[in-house]
Amino acid sequence: MAQDTGGEAAAGKWYDAAKATYTTLVDAKHAVSSAFQFVNVPTGVWIDERGKVVRPGEPAWTTSRTSEYGGKPLVTEGEEYIAALRDWVANGERSQYALSDEAFTARVKRRSDKEMEADASFALAVWFYQSNNMPSAKKYFEHAQALNPDDWNYHRQDWSFTPGEAGAKWMEKFQKLAEPYYPKLEMKPKEKPKG
Amino acid sequence: MKRRDFLFTISAATFAKATLNAQAGATILYDSRAVALARVDVDASGALWVQKKDLPRINGFEIKPQGACRADICIPIPRGMMRGDTFNLTAFAQRVGQKFIADPAARVWGFGEIPVMQGAYLDSRIAPDVEVPDRKGQPVRLSQFRGKKVLLVTWASW
Repeated sequence: MAQDTGGEAAAGKWYDAAKATYTTLVDAKHAVSSAFQFVNVPTGVWIDERGKVVRPGEPAWTTSRTSEYGGKPLVTEGEEYIAALRDWVANGERSQYALSDEAFTARVKRRSDKEMEADASFALAVWFYQSNNMPSAKKYFEHAQALNPDDWNYHRQDWSFTPGEAGAKWMEKFQKLAEPYYPKLEMKPKEKPKG
Repeated sequence: MKRRDFLFTISAATFAKATLNAQAGATILYDSRAVALARVDVDASGALWVQKKDLPRINGFEIKPQGACRADICIPIPRGMMRGDTFNLTAFAQRVGQKFIADPAARVWGFGEIPVMQGAYLDSRIAPDVEVPDRKGQPVRLSQFRGKKVLLVTWASW
C-alpha cells in the first residue's frame, strides 16, 4: 500500500515497475499509519481471517542488508521477517510467530496526548496540501513533526516537497539517533525470566 | 512574541469576534475523512456547534437518550452540550480526550483519534476497518478481506 500524498501520480509507476499482482492501494492521507500507529516505511501488520491483528506494525523488509550512512549502520532484517511470515501462512494461529494477547499488549501502546494532536495536525496538513494551500500545509506538517518527532512518516513526507534538501535533513536526524533507525525485529516474544 | 505571531494572533482574535455566532459551512477532518457541513455555529468561546443529524457522518456517533453512542459505546452528555438541534462537537472532544486543531480562517477543524475507540482496538485486537482507495480510486475496506490472511505493508515513493 503506497503511502504518499502525491497519490497515484507519485506511486503508480512503482507499482507498474513491480508488475504487482497483489491488491494495490494508494493512501494519500496516511490513513493506515494513523489507524495502526506506523511511524516509518516499510511497516507491515499481519491480520488473520477473522480480522484479528496477529502482529502489530514492525519493519517489513524482504531482504537483509546492512548499509552505512555517514558511518552509521542502517540494518534491514528481511530474511527473518519473510521466514516468519511463511511460517504463519502455513500454520496460522499455531505459528510460533502469532503473538499472544500479552505480547500484543506489550507492543502496542496508547498514544500520548502529543501523538494524538500530531495526528490531527498531520490530517490538517494533508487537507491543505490537497487544497493547494502549501503555506498552511507546511505550518501543520511542521506542527505534527514538532509534536511527534519520532514519526519518520511525518518528516519524510514533508521533506519530499523539497527534494533538494530532503537527503541532508534525513542524514542530520539519522546521525542523531540513539536507537536503530528500524527497530530490531523481535519475531518471538521475549521469554520471562525463570524463577 | 514575534511580530508575525502577534499579527496572526490579532487577526485571529478579530476573526473570532467577527464570526461570533456566525453560521456558515465548515470542513471536519476525522478518521481520514473530510466531511463538508453546510452549516455550523462558532460561539464566543470558539466552540464548534454542529447539527445533531450530522454527527453520524462526522464521527460515527449518534445522539440517543443515554448519550452519544457508537456501536456498544455510549458517552453520557451533559445538558449544556446540546442546544436545540445543535451539538457542541469541540466540548464533546474535550470530554472524551480527543485532540483537535482548528483553523477558523479556513473553516476547517482537524480531529484526532477518540481514545475510547483506540482502546476498543487494543482490547479486542480487531483491526480498525480502514478504507483506502485502490489505484483507480475505488474504496477498499480492510473488512472486505475477512476469511483471508492479510499482510498489509506500507511503502512510499519518497
